[in-house]
Amino acid sequence: MDTALVLQNLLSPAILFFFLGVFAVLLGSDLEIPAPLPKLFSLYLLLSIGFKGGVELQASGLGSDVLLTIGAALLMAVLVPLAAFGVLRTQFDVFNAAALAGAYGSISAVTFITAESFLRVLQIPSDGYMVAALALMESPAIIVALLLVKLAAQDRGAAAETGWGSVLHEAFLNSSVFLLVGSLLIGLLVAQYSPSGIAKMEPFTGQLFYGALCFFLLDMGIVAAQRLADLQQAGAFLIGFSLLTPLVNASVGLGLSSVLHLSQGNALLFMVLCASASYIAVPAAMRMTVPEANPSLYISSALGMTFPFNIIVGIPLYLSVIERVLPAGAL
Amino acid sequence: MKRLDLLVNERELELLLKRLEQVGVPGYSVNRHVTGRGGSGTVVSEAMEFSGLGANAHVIVFCDSSLLESLAAELKPLLKTYGGVAYVSDAQPL
Repeated sequence: MDTALVLQNLLSPAILFFFLGVFAVLLGSDLEIPAPLPKLFSLYLLLSIGFKGGVELQASGLGSDVLLTIGAALLMAVLVPLAAFGVLRTQFDVFNAAALAGAYGSISAVTFITAESFLRVLQIPSDGYMVAALALMESPAIIVALLLVKLAAQDRGAAAETGWGSVLHEAFLNSSVFLLVGSLLIGLLVAQYSPSGIAKMEPFTGQLFYGALCFFLLDMGIVAAQRLADLQQAGAFLIGFSLLTPLVNASVGLGLSSVLHLSQGNALLFMVLCASASYIAVPAAMRMTVPEANPSLYISSALGMTFPFNIIVGIPLYLSVIERVLPAGAL
Repeated sequence: MKRLDLLVNERELELLLKRLEQVGVPGYSVNRHVTGRGGSGTVVSEAMEFSGLGANAHVIVFCDSSLLESLAAELKPLLKTYGGVAYVSDAQPL
């Protein structure tokens, strides 16, 4: 792995603030972020990334390469939870295996945003349509996870049965997906019909963005460190799973990126989408649709292990591999 | 007059309130952002509020005792599925 890339990532403000949050917990500091603020910052990040993605998507258009990339993203969103379920079933019951599979089949928007910021620092271009892939990869895993429960679980209590209307509502209209897709569409419309609006939004969606990401990662560091105790109880298998799964999924993502002739920047974002796990949309949906599953397992593994692994080690590692495998001039 | 105290995760609050209204309670009060520690030792905090998995909500209902049976039938399955507690006590208007 390229040491310079690792150092550049490790010493970036975003990752340093993440570590600051981790150390606050480990050292027993009373640092805490009032609860409504992380929610506000997570909504802000989704709004900004969605709006900017929409603007860029309008510029790039919906060509065959864009549609193929989005199709590959959807394919991964379905295949990853199925494969993960098969592995997890060896150690967990149907409910926990399905909830964990759902988390790993979906994506982490903050990991994606961190990777995109890393690319900007390195001045490696990426395309706005990757935000569309991000938005579309959130939901399918939720549906796959519930299908797995319905097919594999027996003697499920009537109270735990959730109607498909509720599931689809949760999968496609949960706040993060709704805001991301809505902001993407607003970005598209503004770029098409009211381009002066882009400059008006720039101070909010552009200049404040990196600082807000750092602040949110400070909170993520605190929350991730608080989850470490839960993870110790989950056992070695889940810890191993949460570290190996991103590597396996990123490798498949790299293969698909090569087949699709993605640029280096897009390939990194695609690999990060494949490698990340959801700790926002999926846990909320699983809590409602698979209440038998233990939230401390799927939240702690996604947030306490996979998320830090991806933003600290994964992103520079994936880019390092991409630079060796994919030519810089790829379209 | 009876007082019903319910503690549930905020995630299930809307579901709970819908069932209360189906039973026909005259009204209710809701305290959100309730933190603490459950009987099993589980710490309830606001740490995951950014994800929609927030702290607990405390719902207080004052109603006639004739509604208790319907309330139990509606709420017990919900509490069994998602967790949470409910306690009934006597209440007297001042």
